[in-house]
Amino acid sequence: MFELGVKVAFSLAQIGVVFGIVLLTVMFLTLAERKVIAWMQDRMGPMEVGPYGILQPIADGLKLFFKEDIVPAGANRFLFSLAPILALVPALIGFAVIPFGPNLTVELFGIQFKPFVISDVNIGILYILAFTSIGAYGIILGGWASNSKYSLLGGLRAAAQVISYELNVGLAIVGVLLLAGSLSLVKITEAQAGGFWHWYIFAFPFPQIFAFVVYVISAVAETNRVPFDLPEAESELVAGFFTEYSGMRFAFFFIAEYANMILVSCIAAALFLGGWNAPYPGTLIGHLGFPHFAWIEQVVWFAAKVYCFLFLFFWLRATLPRLRYDQLMRFGWKVMLPIALGNILVTSIAAYLFPKS
Amino acid sequence: MAMKFKAWLKTITFYEILVGMKATLKHLLHYRPITLQYPHEKRTLPDSYRGMLALLRYDDGTEKCVGCDLCEAACPSRVIRVISSEVPGEPTKRYAKEYYMDMTRCLFCGLCVDACPVDALGMTREYEWAVYDKRQLLLSKPQLLAIGDRSFPVREKRLELQHPNVAFFNVAFKFMPPKES
Repeated sequence: MFELGVKVAFSLAQIGVVFGIVLLTVMFLTLAERKVIAWMQDRMGPMEVGPYGILQPIADGLKLFFKEDIVPAGANRFLFSLAPILALVPALIGFAVIPFGPNLTVELFGIQFKPFVISDVNIGILYILAFTSIGAYGIILGGWASNSKYSLLGGLRAAAQVISYELNVGLAIVGVLLLAGSLSLVKITEAQAGGFWHWYIFAFPFPQIFAFVVYVISAVAETNRVPFDLPEAESELVAGFFTEYSGMRFAFFFIAEYANMILVSCIAAALFLGGWNAPYPGTLIGHLGFPHFAWIEQVVWFAAKVYCFLFLFFWLRATLPRLRYDQLMRFGWKVMLPIALGNILVTSIAAYLFPKS
Repeated sequence: MAMKFKAWLKTITFYEILVGMKATLKHLLHYRPITLQYPHEKRTLPDSYRGMLALLRYDDGTEKCVGCDLCEAACPSRVIRVISSEVPGEPTKRYAKEYYMDMTRCLFCGLCVDACPVDALGMTREYEWAVYDKRQLLLSKPQLLAIGDRSFPVREKRLELQHPNVAFFNVAFKFMPPKES
């Protein structure tokens, strides 16, 4: 009984910390995105709230919190309320299997814990793919329940786009899974230890660089970001599926979008860029003779990879215009899908010829 | 063939996208914003800036406006409404008993200022006229005179004391300045 209590308490503490870090990152991202895009476009971004506008996310959050909660006439109230939750929960729940740091075990009251991953599920990547698919339901239902043509069109577009690009994400990941021989994110990351030439983007039997490109493009499309932001194309559909949402419900959709961005960045870092592994063998702190503190460096490496990936999202948004809908579909099905399938074929042949020792 | 291969190579390496991303990154690294932090810093207005309209006075405080209605006729958006009447006790002189400007409609073309024969209208350099109630933009004569007073503190001399070649009318004959022959 005591053992169970300690386990539950530790897990809850872990969940709380991860939840807090993710939400703080979302807050930071809303500001960072506006600032980075502004700088890229010779503007200044938010400058009013606090010095250089650094308190803008807090002001935005307070404003959204106190906004009136409007349910449009003729909307399906139940689904209208359910949709933001359905979009947010899968986006946050995927972080349960992300390894943020090395696969250490800490002993507390005689019970072993892994401090840097909430739960090392042996089908981790499958779990994330399954839950991000549920996130699409939130968007579709939100668009349908709003009783507005813009929302419905945005929801339909989101449905078609997320489904077709999710396939590419899954197929791009398969190459890595073939090389690693595991679905657990912890095991996949551990297999990439020992220098950047072991990362799966450059790894020996067949570098997954094509899979990585397919994954990046499909991840951008799956999170509905520019240049694939057709579900919320403001010049065509006002705001797409969340046109009718206001206040905290809108904030839920917003947080879900940014949490999804962080999630796909974490997956990219873990699968292709070596996760917590430094680009050189071992860790600097470990080489200096403090192996107990090596986890600091490894967590920093993981965070750096994730933030580089997030910066890529901003960079793409500042640069590219939106695709047309048929271009988006053609690109997904006729370009990305064959590349991903070809990559699987070549990778499986390479993995067969050079089996893991 | 070589051209085709080159184009194909550009397509598969996302060459155009990379060029665009290089451009945005260059702007990020050489960050030189063109933003003007508006309420804190304001741009210098050009000399011929056409801002808020105002009614003007002579140096002794009398209104310049003679109630001729020409501004009302010149206005393309029917902003101005003049109710003209005789100056009490001076049957030869007229003035604007009431003068309204509906600034919600004004497009700041300056035609009324051009039309005014006695330079009674002026365009100030005020532009921060956002209000919460648009009825506050229906300006009456005292308001317009107040705008003129604060924007043009240096006033012109009375017409009869000015240079005689300046156009004038509506001056009582007893005050008519002697014309140099």
